[in-house]
Amino acid sequence: MLTISSVSKSYGSLTALSDVSLDIAPGEFLGLLGPNGAGKSTLMSLISGLKRPDAGSITLNDISTTNGDHQARHELGLVPQNIALYDELTAEENLQVFGELFGLDHKTLRERITEGLSAVGLEDRRKDRVKSFSGGMKRRLNIIAALLHRPKMLLCDEPTVGVDPQSRNAIFELLEKLNREGLTVVYSTHYMEEATRLCSRIAIIDHGKILASGTLAQLLEQLPSAERIRITRSDASLLALPELEALGALVTVDGAHTLAVRAGTQLSTVFQVLEKHGVASAGCTLTRPGLEDVFLHLTGKAFRE
Amino acid sequence: MSKSPDFKTALLMSTVLSLLRKDIRLFLRNKVAFGLTFIVPLVLVYIFGQVFGVNRSSSGPTGVPIAVVNESDAAVATAIIEAMEAESAFQVIHTWEDAAGVEQPLTADRARELIRDNKMRFGLVFPPDTMSEERFGLRLIFLNNPRNEIETQTVTGLLQKVIFTSAPQALMTSLKEQAESYIGTAETTAFYDGMARTISDAFDLKYETVRADMEAGVMNFGADDSASEEGKADSADASSFIDQIVAIENEQLAGADVKSPAATRVVGGWAIMFLLFSVSGASTALFEEKQAGIFHRLLASPVSRSHILWSKYLFNMLMGLVQLTVLFIAGQIMFGIEVIPHLPSLLVVALCASIACTAFGMLLSAIAPNPAAASGLATFLILTMSAIGGAWFPTSFMPEFIQSISKLTLVYWSMEGFIAVLWAHKSIFEILPILAVLLGMAAVVNVFSVWRFNRGNLFE
Ligand SMILES: Nc1ncnc2c1ncn2[C@@H]1O[C@H](COP(=O)(O)OP(=O)(O)O)[C@@H](O)[C@H]1O
Ligand SMILES: [Mg+2]
Repeated sequence: MLTISSVSKSYGSLTALSDVSLDIAPGEFLGLLGPNGAGKSTLMSLISGLKRPDAGSITLNDISTTNGDHQARHELGLVPQNIALYDELTAEENLQVFGELFGLDHKTLRERITEGLSAVGLEDRRKDRVKSFSGGMKRRLNIIAALLHRPKMLLCDEPTVGVDPQSRNAIFELLEKLNREGLTVVYSTHYMEEATRLCSRIAIIDHGKILASGTLAQLLEQLPSAERIRITRSDASLLALPELEALGALVTVDGAHTLAVRAGTQLSTVFQVLEKHGVASAGCTLTRPGLEDVFLHLTGKAFRE
Repeated sequence: MSKSPDFKTALLMSTVLSLLRKDIRLFLRNKVAFGLTFIVPLVLVYIFGQVFGVNRSSSGPTGVPIAVVNESDAAVATAIIEAMEAESAFQVIHTWEDAAGVEQPLTADRARELIRDNKMRFGLVFPPDTMSEERFGLRLIFLNNPRNEIETQTVTGLLQKVIFTSAPQALMTSLKEQAESYIGTAETTAFYDGMARTISDAFDLKYETVRADMEAGVMNFGADDSASEEGKADSADASSFIDQIVAIENEQLAGADVKSPAATRVVGGWAIMFLLFSVSGASTALFEEKQAGIFHRLLASPVSRSHILWSKYLFNMLMGLVQLTVLFIAGQIMFGIEVIPHLPSLLVVALCASIACTAFGMLLSAIAPNPAAASGLATFLILTMSAIGGAWFPTSFMPEFIQSISKLTLVYWSMEGFIAVLWAHKSIFEILPILAVLLGMAAVVNVFSVWRFNRGNLFE
């Protein structure tokens, strides 16, 4: 449906995206996971035609989104990273403005506004000015505003930043429901739990490069080991380090060591080493690998939120 | 999917109109902007109208050009002209340039023509009968085409000052000669004796002093040179006495039937200044929308940069038109400016002024890196342009080099337009050059702004 091929974009001397290629199929819920400054927003801007790539092309159903033509825009909805609403206008007036720009007639627009507001539980705040809304309410409205013209693909750029858990859940449920109904979603985030929970496929992006993409299971398969053991740093643990290093990849971050046990190595071997050096078992936890470990594996550094 | 041009135009219009409607709604909701656009200027116009209506400005114009034509052979005429030339507040002009660019001496008729055509504002004619056997005293003709009461008052006052204080000797001598030839030496002496007695009685001065001063041709009868408070009062009284000897005929050559020319300037000046503030404020709204990321949302819709800029432009133009019209109508109510009879022409001038002012506002957001810089720059430029463009006082009050800069400001041309319509009652056809200058300025500025917008990062 959406084809991004070999796209690069620089701001002056800073390369925000380099040689990014990605294919998104209809009905997918693609997560774009990366730390701040990875280039997620830049990629979203390129897809929605706000910026032009320095090289490469982006097409939506074979229509270019980057040539300045408005054609693709009717199929795309962008939820910008910033809350893009007029504070002094009411929820309804905001939606009216943005809906009119897509050429929706008055009646259809009214219906969709009502429908959208009730989908995110804001129907009774319809006539209130946006400046009186909480951050979470604004975020919900921010999403509705991108859906009025019924796009085929929704681009959500970190839509839950600074949101209370209740609003976050409301947003998740709405997006999941829309996705089930056939909407293709591209969802950028720096929260791994969000990507894990929502996305059918995840692309990991850092320093302007897509490092890996696939389902959660596929990404985890890339890891050389299935288990990791977290060991709280202590005098005893430091003594054990040389031996532990032989058993897998060891990283020390923030007063804890994480050992990614090499495939084929018995866990019991690890525990024997720990016991030998008198490492307290209370300081050790066995964890299942997650996206954090994938990121660590791909970049050699921890994913910091 | 190729769409017909008509459809595209309709879509463009509806997009721009949607954005425009949104801007109007936001404006009406923004009490500060509303107040700054209508309430504050109204109050200021009212206050300044009162101030200028009651107290005349005491500082004199510097170097006001005045055409001087001497048709008489009286010595006093030459003396007065010399005194005027010595007075820095006047710039005495004796010649004019004909079509071939050759300097020609001015005649009274030519001076009238120049003044009627707005090429000169004031003139002083010494007619052949400046001193006449039939009449006692001087006769001068003061030609003027005042844009403004204050200016006329100030120039007239200065002229009196020059005539009464700098040329009394010549005046008295001439008067004495005239009197002697008229009534004979003995009688003249007797007349002087009598007059000195009358003056000393009337002004409570010593007879001997007045008589001696008269003989010497000194006019500030008996006042000592230390210029005490009393002395000043005396010379003021003496001036009113002279007033009756020198007859200055006032000949106003244009704008004769306007009720309140000063008010036109006050209203027009403040209106244009606040219009500039309003449009620059509205343009900083572009920055707010950028910061809120709204441009991202808009530009991801079927909206282009030019839609956004056009809607802002239209909004500012409309706001300017409404603001100027409201202020001028208020001017009619407060000061009796004849606005309603000239409304169509005024609207045309106001529209062109709004277009030019909006261009200025857009320029600010095109060149300023952030809203703070934009509003700082705006304040500086608006105050400067208003001051030198003649929004606060007539440009003729200013040094010549500033007057030449005045013409580069849109404030100057807007004021010219307002005054031409409301004061000189020019028709739209006659003010076409002024409108062309305003629109030309707007066009140049806009081309530059668009170029900057395309290069800048406002929409990034
Ligand atoms: N308009 C811009 N001008 C200059 N640098 C930019 C601009 N936008 C983003 N960047 C830089 O590009 C990189 C990627 O930014 P962005 O796409 O916003 O990342 P993300 O959304 O993943 O946090 C960052 O280093 C950021 O500082
Ligand atoms: Mg971002």
